[in-house]
Parts: sequence; C-alpha cells; structure tokens
Amino acid sequence: MAKKSTLHQQRSRVGIIFATPALILVSAFLGIPIIQAGYFSFTEWNGIDAKWLGVSAYINEFKNPIFWRVLENNGLLLLGVPIAILFPMGIAFLLNEKVAGWKIFRTIFFLPTAISWVVIGMVSMRFFAQEGLLNDLLKAFGLGFIKTDLLSSEKGALFAVAITFIWSMVGTNTIIFLTGMATLDQSLNEAARMDGAGNFRIFRSITLPQLNRFIQFSFIITVISAFTALFSLIFVMTGGGPGFGTTTLEFFIFQSAFSRGNFGTGAMLGVILFAMMAILGIGQLLLMRKKDE
Amino acid sequence: MCVLAVVMLYPFFFMINTSFKSKEQYFGAPGRSTKSWIKLFDALPVWKQLLNSTLVCAGAISIILVVATMAGFAIAKMRSKTTPIFFLGIVGAMLIPLQSIIIPAYINASKLNLLNGYWGAIFVYAALGSPFATFLMTSYFRGIPDDIVEAAIVDGLSYPKVFLKIALPLAVPAIITVIVLQFIQVWDDLLVGLLFIQDPTYRTITVGLGALSAGRVTDIPVLMAGSLISAIPAVIVYLIFQRQLVNGLTAGIGK
Repeated sequence: MAKKSTLHQQRSRVGIIFATPALILVSAFLGIPIIQAGYFSFTEWNGIDAKWLGVSAYINEFKNPIFWRVLENNGLLLLGVPIAILFPMGIAFLLNEKVAGWKIFRTIFFLPTAISWVVIGMVSMRFFAQEGLLNDLLKAFGLGFIKTDLLSSEKGALFAVAITFIWSMVGTNTIIFLTGMATLDQSLNEAARMDGAGNFRIFRSITLPQLNRFIQFSFIITVISAFTALFSLIFVMTGGGPGFGTTTLEFFIFQSAFSRGNFGTGAMLGVILFAMMAILGIGQLLLMRKKDE
Repeated sequence: MCVLAVVMLYPFFFMINTSFKSKEQYFGAPGRSTKSWIKLFDALPVWKQLLNSTLVCAGAISIILVVATMAGFAIAKMRSKTTPIFFLGIVGAMLIPLQSIIIPAYINASKLNLLNGYWGAIFVYAALGSPFATFLMTSYFRGIPDDIVEAAIVDGLSYPKVFLKIALPLAVPAIITVIVLQFIQVWDDLLVGLLFIQDPTYRTITVGLGALSAGRVTDIPVLMAGSLISAIPAVIVYLIFQRQLVNGLTAGIGK
C-alpha cells in the first residue's frame, strides 16, 4: 500500500513537470496577452503610455458608426456560411457514391487548404479585376454587356471576398462531410427502403440526423474562419477597402493598432472578437454535452 | 465534378500560365518568356526567404512537438487533481483568436527585444499551435491502454522513460499529423510574420510576397511567379501527407 501511494505521488509530480513547458509557453504568449488586452481595452494606449478611460472607452466605440459598419461586414460575410456548408455537402454525397476518379477529385478539392491566403488573394484579385477572367467568361457566354468591376465598389468587393472565402472552404467542408458519410450506418438505409421510403425521405430522416455532429463541426469551423482567418486575404485583395467596404473586425483590429496607433482601441476590438468566439465555442460545447446525455 | 475540379485548379493554371509571360505578353502580346521569373529573383531574395520560412517552421514545430507531446502524455496518463483544470485551460486557449492577443503580444515582444530575429515569430507560432497539438496528442495517448504504461512502471521504468521509450514511438502517426498541420499553418501565415519579424532580411517567403504586393508592385506576372514559388513547398507536403492532414482536421469532431 505504501508503495502504491509513492507511485501515485511520483505520477502526479512528473505529470506536473511534464505539463509545465506547455503552461509557460501558452501563458506567456496567449494567457498574459489576453489579460493585458482586457486591461488595455479600457485605456487610451499608444503602446507606451496608457491613460485609463474605463467603460467610456467601450461606450465611445459603440457610438462609432465605423464600428457598426465593420460588424455589418462581418454579418454579411456570415450570409455565405450556409453556401459554404451545403455546397460541399452535395459534393461529398457525389464523391461518396465513388464516382470514377473520386480520389483524384478529393485531392483537388482539398488543395486550397495548402495554399496561403496571400496567394489565393492575389489570384482572386486578378479574377475579379476589370480586365480579369470573370469579365472574359461573361463575354464568352454572350453576356459581354455586363461589365463587372466588383473590387471598385464597397458591396462588390465584399461580395468578391465572400466568393473567395466560400471557394476556399469547399475543400475543408467536403472532407468533413466525407468523413461523416463514412460513418453512416448503411443497414438503416436498406431497412428504410424495405419499408418503402423514397430517396428524399431517407436523406431527411436517416442520413441528416446521423450527420448532425459533422454539420455542427463544419458550421463552427466555417464561422470561426469567417471571423478570424481572412486577415491575409483582405490585406492582399482589398486592403479593407474601398472605404471600409471589406474591413471586418479582425482587419479593423490591425488597422486601429498598426496603421492608426490606437493600441487601446485595437485591444478592445480584440476583446470583443474573443468574446464572440468564446460564446460560439461554449455554445458548441454545451450543445455537444446535451447530445451526450 | 469536372467543372468544379477546373474551378479549384484554376489558380494554379493561372499562376503557371501568367508567370511565364512578360508584362507586355500578359496584356495581350503573343509568346512566352522567363523575364518575369528573372525580375522576381531581382525584386525578392527568394532563396533567403525560403530558408527563413524553413527555419521559422522548424523552430516553431520543434517547440510545439516537445511541449505538446509532454503535456498530452501528462493529461492522458499522469492524471492528478490539477489535470482537469489544465486540460480546460488548454482547450480554452484554442478559442483565443490571434487578433485578440496580437497587440499586447507585439508590445511585450518588442520590450523583450524579440522582434529583431526569428525568435518572436517562432514563439508566437509555437504558442498558437501548442493548444491544438496538445489536444491532439492527448486524445492519441488516451488511446494507448493504461495497462501498458502501468506494466512498464511495475517493471521498474520511470514515467519519463515510459514516455520516451514506449509512448513516443507509439505516437508517431499523431506526431506526423501535428508536423504537417503546423507546417502548412506557419508556412502560409502572413500576420505574425509581418509584425514579429521586423528585420526584412529575416522575412519569410509569404511575408515577402505579401509586402511585395502591398508595395503596389503592379507587375502581375512577377507576383504570380512569386505566388507559385511560395505555394510549391506547402503543396508538396500536402500531396505527400494528405491523409495525416485529414486526420488532423477531423480530430476536433471527437466522439
């Protein structure tokens, strides 16, 4: 018995030692900065001196029409999320039927995951440009009278960013649904078919519920990407413009701090972004826990 | 399917096609040339930046591997009262967006003089990658039966020995997944490199390219040649380790 308890002690002692490097690294570069961000969000800060403003810092920002404009951009980008989920789901269905060459298709669809947003942004910019492929395509289909110049208008540029975002999510979400479909219980389908259920009925009542977890996961991934992964794309493609047309919250943080020197405002926007992501993450956890019970 | 494949491959076609044109040829003059490639190598220290990218990736991934395998093993196999809190902290850290911490982290790093070489970027990448890597390693180590670990302990091995001699060799697939995932992430990143590497001679290729385009270089074929070169290493890694990448991506779905 005595031996066992020393073993137990050894185990927890070594365990703590093993966990320490991760703890130090994550605390130093994520934990402490997020606490600092919380503090400095209430100040006017130029990186060196900070002046305490308190809650009025937040109130002032909430009165800033640009702040709401930026959030509106984020909201509009979210409209692309259903497409970025449903479209890949359809693709995954087709691939799951093991069409000829499905492995090659899978590799091709997933390829954007490996390419940086900088590269995607540069190509995309050319695609939507006035002398770009989009206009060539329109002309080729006899629609030459529609001359698009999406990047020069605020709404158009945001639309172009959204299309690029959806394009790049296709691979990731297709893979998620392919993984999901591999877990489907085929015997249920057959049983339902025996009972006279049609294809649509089977899809709705049997396939979809089984895929629920994967739909949720792809939703979370897509929303998180829409809020936090598009900095480089926007940086390269539009620089946030024209005007504030494509400035999303994450880009606004960078602009406030590093173009305008308002580090306090930047920190505050960062805190707001973190709060949004945390609510999303906790909501997801609660939803999953509810399912488990 | 084929139409979609064309849509997905179009950027590659466009990059290759455009990079082998001069500026005039891009705007309609016939023929091809390697002029733009030569211009690219004049405008950008391509080899040096590829080396920088490699060094930053190697540094960050090494730190992540050490930290995440140890922490993952501690959470999965050396449980104590503090383990659940620690695990919660790690999962919580996964929720922190880079943009939320980047301003204080940047100021801190500049005070610590970390912005002049590779180290600032390496540490930030390592800290950003470690939570998910730890999560991945934890679920992998949990899959190793406790009996194996306990039997080795009863045979007189210490926990660190069990970790090095038994657990790590078993975890090679998960380790490869972490490497591939992090390589692509770090290689492709712009924001951290842009801020945490102040000296242009240490710039990574992705940052070099981003700076080139932001500097309003309007020579599109040159930019496309640069894009192609920066994309190739990550694409090669992707093609070889596709399966590991998929494993890493879907690991978050859990059971």
